[in-house]
Amino acid sequence: MADNVPSCAGAFLEVRNLTLQYKTDRYLVTATRDVSFDVGESDRLVLLGPSGCGKSTLLKAIGGFLKPAGGSIALNGRPIKAPGADRGIVFQEFDQLLPWKTARENIVFAIRQTRNASREEAVEEAQALLEKVSLARVGDSYPHALSGGMKQRVAIARCLAIKSKIILMDEPFASLDALTRQKMQEELLYLWTETKFTLVFVTHSIDEAITLGTRIIVLSPHPGRVVDEFSVDWTRGPEEYGESASLKERITQILFRDIDYVI
Amino acid sequence: MSYKAEADGADIPDEMKRTLSLHEKLYNSAAARKLFLLIFLAIAWQLYSMRVDNPLMFPSLVDTMAGFVEVVRSGELPLRALASLRVIVVAYAGGVILAGLLTVFAITTRPGTDLLEILTSMFNPLPAIALLPLALLWFGLGYPSIIFVIVHAVSWPVALNIYTGFMGVSSTLRMVGRNYGLSGFAFVFRILVPAAFPHILTGLKIGWAFSWRTLIAAELVFGVSSGSGGLGWFIYEKKNQLDINLVFAGLLTVIIIGVLVEGVVFKFIEERTVVRWGMKF
Ligand SMILES: Nc1ncnc2c1ncn2[C@@H]1O[C@H](COP(=O)(O)OP(=O)(O)O)[C@@H](O)[C@H]1O
Ligand SMILES: [Mg+2]
Repeated sequence: MADNVPSCAGAFLEVRNLTLQYKTDRYLVTATRDVSFDVGESDRLVLLGPSGCGKSTLLKAIGGFLKPAGGSIALNGRPIKAPGADRGIVFQEFDQLLPWKTARENIVFAIRQTRNASREEAVEEAQALLEKVSLARVGDSYPHALSGGMKQRVAIARCLAIKSKIILMDEPFASLDALTRQKMQEELLYLWTETKFTLVFVTHSIDEAITLGTRIIVLSPHPGRVVDEFSVDWTRGPEEYGESASLKERITQILFRDIDYVI
Repeated sequence: MSYKAEADGADIPDEMKRTLSLHEKLYNSAAARKLFLLIFLAIAWQLYSMRVDNPLMFPSLVDTMAGFVEVVRSGELPLRALASLRVIVVAYAGGVILAGLLTVFAITTRPGTDLLEILTSMFNPLPAIALLPLALLWFGLGYPSIIFVIVHAVSWPVALNIYTGFMGVSSTLRMVGRNYGLSGFAFVFRILVPAAFPHILTGLKIGWAFSWRTLIAAELVFGVSSGSGGLGWFIYEKKNQLDINLVFAGLLTVIIIGVLVEGVVFKFIEERTVVRWGMKF
């Protein structure tokens, strides 16, 4: 395991000295300051940090919804200027499914809006994706009739449906119960082995970061800055499992070093 | 069982559910409960009119129904109702289209927003019928004047509701739409309109109620020249001829049409949209 891995040249996603701000009526809020990192193709990069450190803001900027106040973001060498379907997004919020469409139609809509596919193809593909996230049975249900975990699974299926090379996920499992969360994490890793998409995954859970990430970027609270970066060695065998425990300890220390208040 | 179900239960395995029995369904049905109340009110009307015993002041239900059947048979009432409906369809559609255009202009441009806010805050509190004298001056005695006031009655509440609905669309849903590359009209019609549909439907209902009222009120004021007035004119005419049971029959027709549109047309749309989507508030 190596700390502070040097960034590979010409990375898939390049974030350079990114500063993001919100203008409210009275204040100029700086959400992240001078954040830089690279994401290589097929990386599973985890952005880890306490609540309010600007993780969602960072993801929205990569999504193209927010103009940088400083610095730059480039995807495939081209600066990101606007939202687009070349980036699949799973939002943090449960209300991200279109409530007027069934689970299946949500996926069909995503396919039809972003790709050249006939309705029949889209429906067929949507069904296959629903089966992949084990939701084939509720394809005809409207989102309001689904549980939180089901909604997030549909959102993940919908996001895979647009076949973007990079997928951004904002704490998609944060409000699920521990058991469901663990299942979804396993499912996500399994889905990744199929197409090896590039993943940027936001979480505030150290365990989740270690479970999912090949690389972990640790952000400081308010405003978010990169404080450290780890690589997780996925070739390790079970006998080396102790390493992940020590990794957890080190990340915990780093996170708490920056928190100058007592929880 | 007082908890209101939010799911349709389709995804629940059969072991966990059973079909409701007929009387359970009947009690659950608002229509059945309301029908019962309606029958009760009808009986109360008949009993009261028999006590008053003055057909000139308060005709009985039986007299009213007899008169109703008579003018329906003679074709007079259907003709008048049709005249009213023809006007209102044109005026209502015009008002809704105007409201839609104004709102789309309002959400896409800053001056549009200001314009809509100023216009609605000015004209929404102004009863449309107050513009009738002015309309008569501009458009003369006839349906153009009535259409003008109805468009006025419909546009502002509908525009206000559509606008409120658009503004209330969650930023997540907006981001989803833009993530798919939607913009302009595609964004408005594929994301904003369905997402704001509960508000839009409310606006359409309020607009309908306002326009129907305004129409009848306007017809009461004139119709003087044209022999082919609508329902409002029918009511006015029958009062002058002291056919009070026919006045009641006319009022009943106004109510029936209002209820049918509200309870059948809008209900139908509502069941197929916001109720199905779990977006009814
Ligand atoms: N729309 C907004 N307007 C103003 N400030 C915001 C807005 N969204 C987030 N913020 C602020 O930016 C900071 C980072 O927020 P966010 O990116 O949501 O954090 P995280 O996702 O890490 O919990 C917070 O202090 C938050 O209050
Ligand atoms: Mg967040």
